Amino acid sequence: MTNSEDSFLTGAREIAPLVLGVSIYGLAYGLLAAQAGFSPFDVAGMGVIVFAGSSQIVATQQWLAGAGAFAALIAGLALNLRIVLITASIPDVFAGRPLWQKALAAHLAADENWAMLLQRRAKGRVAGFRYFVGGGVAQFVAWGCATTLGAALSVAIPDPKSLGMDFAFTAAFIAIARALFRGRRDLAPWAVSLGVAGVGLATGWIAAPWAIVLGGLAGAATAGFSSDDD
Amino acid sequence: MMTSPWALILPLAAGTFTIRLSGALLGARIPTHGRWARAMQALPGCLIVSLVAVSLISGGPREWIAGLVAALAALATRSLPFTMVFGIAAIWLLRHYF
Repeated sequence: MTNSEDSFLTGAREIAPLVLGVSIYGLAYGLLAAQAGFSPFDVAGMGVIVFAGSSQIVATQQWLAGAGAFAALIAGLALNLRIVLITASIPDVFAGRPLWQKALAAHLAADENWAMLLQRRAKGRVAGFRYFVGGGVAQFVAWGCATTLGAALSVAIPDPKSLGMDFAFTAAFIAIARALFRGRRDLAPWAVSLGVAGVGLATGWIAAPWAIVLGGLAGAATAGFSSDDD
Repeated sequence: MMTSPWALILPLAAGTFTIRLSGALLGARIPTHGRWARAMQALPGCLIVSLVAVSLISGGPREWIAGLVAALAALATRSLPFTMVFGIAAIWLLRHYF
């Protein structure tokens, strides 16, 4: 049944391992936000209405570094530009839904529930609106609770980086890349992405958020202009 | 006197929601064949590769080795939680003993 039906609970259950990593990352984010002078209430509100972990981290780091609200905002939004491509890449999730459901699923769109959806489909199983929202809600609740807890307990938690928690996302994305790899036709686009993002960032030509966006677009353009039939 | 965090939080929330919803509303008009479709299909993997490249480059040799361990774990186990466990364990060991 779970293989042939689009299910909220399946979405929430299958994202659990990722949500565990996100929770640990969320605790670390709460600590960072507390350092930047955010109260637990500020952090809880931010988690609910922004709900975009990496952009919250980048924006808060800039804010903490004294870059000012505008620079912090631009840094965070630049990192979120990729989400337009994430929500645009799954039109069937939104198709035929009323506007409030489109808005709900869009607000819950994150790297993790999107990757889980693609991963499940790659295995030939059904995943749609309910699966996507189920994963999103699980992550939304975990992110809100973990970040707020991190801010509240900021005095009692040791340096999260010394525990290796900051590496959770990188390792998760490596596993997701493995799952997304479609074989030979991905080699050239991925090499271009790696080159543009890597060289752009390493040479100081572009900042991290733009390196991610430009690398992704350059790789996708390479795939678009290749002559391979799909 | 520090500016309220909400001077950052509110516009970040508004901008992020606009980005998310515009992708959802735009996505339905995107063609399913041809160059544009091939690019859109390749995009998720390319963004993930860029994300990994940026996080590894932002770190140092310890992160690169831990990234290699995570990549080997991903190839061997094809499991997300195992890859995370191996990656975090590797970075912890590297930072504490090397």
